[in-house]
Amino acid sequence: MDSMKKIILFLEWGSIAGLAGCGLWIFLGLPIESSQGFPQKIMYIHVPTFVATYLAFFVVFAFSIAYLWKRDLMYDQIAKVSAEVGLIFCALLLITGAIWGRPTWGTFWVWDARLTTTLLLFLIFMGYFLLRMSVSDRDKEARLASVLGIIGCLDIPIIHKSVEWWRTLHQPSTLFKVESGKASPSIPPELLNPLIASIMVMLLFYLYLLLLRYQTEKRKDELNQLLAETQV
Amino acid sequence: MKTRTKFVIGGAVILAVIVALSLQELQKMTVFFYTPAEVLASPGEFEDKTIRIGALVQKGSVDWNAQAIQLSFKITEDGKVLIPVYYDGVKPDLFREGQGVVVEGKMNGPRFEASQLLVKHSEEYTVDTEHKKSKEEYYKSIQAQ
Repeated sequence: MDSMKKIILFLEWGSIAGLAGCGLWIFLGLPIESSQGFPQKIMYIHVPTFVATYLAFFVVFAFSIAYLWKRDLMYDQIAKVSAEVGLIFCALLLITGAIWGRPTWGTFWVWDARLTTTLLLFLIFMGYFLLRMSVSDRDKEARLASVLGIIGCLDIPIIHKSVEWWRTLHQPSTLFKVESGKASPSIPPELLNPLIASIMVMLLFYLYLLLLRYQTEKRKDELNQLLAETQV
Repeated sequence: MKTRTKFVIGGAVILAVIVALSLQELQKMTVFFYTPAEVLASPGEFEDKTIRIGALVQKGSVDWNAQAIQLSFKITEDGKVLIPVYYDGVKPDLFREGQGVVVEGKMNGPRFEASQLLVKHSEEYTVDTEHKKSKEEYYKSIQAQ
């Protein structure tokens, strides 16, 4: 358990130092992007946030399946806390997107396929926590939430492909752009390198929140179990 | 009739309505904008309807009247099929010739009267080399002192 504490402490200071370093790099060391100008810097929080959102809900998906298969409560605890952190990243994603949209597009919000499917993800996982709250039996809660979690995560590939499948206001992916079978991000290395660094830092931050929250969640379940045993 | 059967029938009706409505909405949503060619091909279908058209701003067609806050330009996909657009409002910062835009409004005869003008950003990012150069020169001038 002591090693877990050390890992969490390392992630905490790693993400604080990383965020500070990226902030300095982005605001002092980078050239201005030619078409958008200064608002382009919002990219360095918007893009890492969506990568973290994708990862968080992929973890929900994988651990929900693992729970249904093995019926070990630990898997459900991880899925739950990852969904919590993912929901916060998803909210940040929508907010930073709106702040970027105002100066570039001229509007905070449009009902295009990319934005609507992202909002849908947010609403599905709001429902996910309502479902968890409404069931009192812990095992039943885990079972139902795993099913909803798996279904909800199917929205992720739809979000990712929405800009290719449908006509949207949101532009196609810059970072994951593929040309003739090869990955070729349409952004010069000067602007790309800090973006990759920001993504790494955001993933560290995600891992930090996940582990921290998992510790408390595990203890909460242990405590509830003890209480139930003493009552019997 | 048993309560359970009533619930099942009621649930099925509600589910069917939800599915039907969302499919209808989905169809609208998935076509966020039409192209100029689609709009001109069937003018009857789009008359008196609020629609969005997405296209590029034709080079040399922009007329910005800053006094009256009126903007007019032509939009096109290929440089051949053009629709003149009139917009009463402020010109967005990123609006320029050759830029992708999405306009929302109504067709009035051959011209499109826009109530909203959105700039469509491309996924291409480039460095503003002139800004970078002037910044470097500025730093050099500080160091020289």
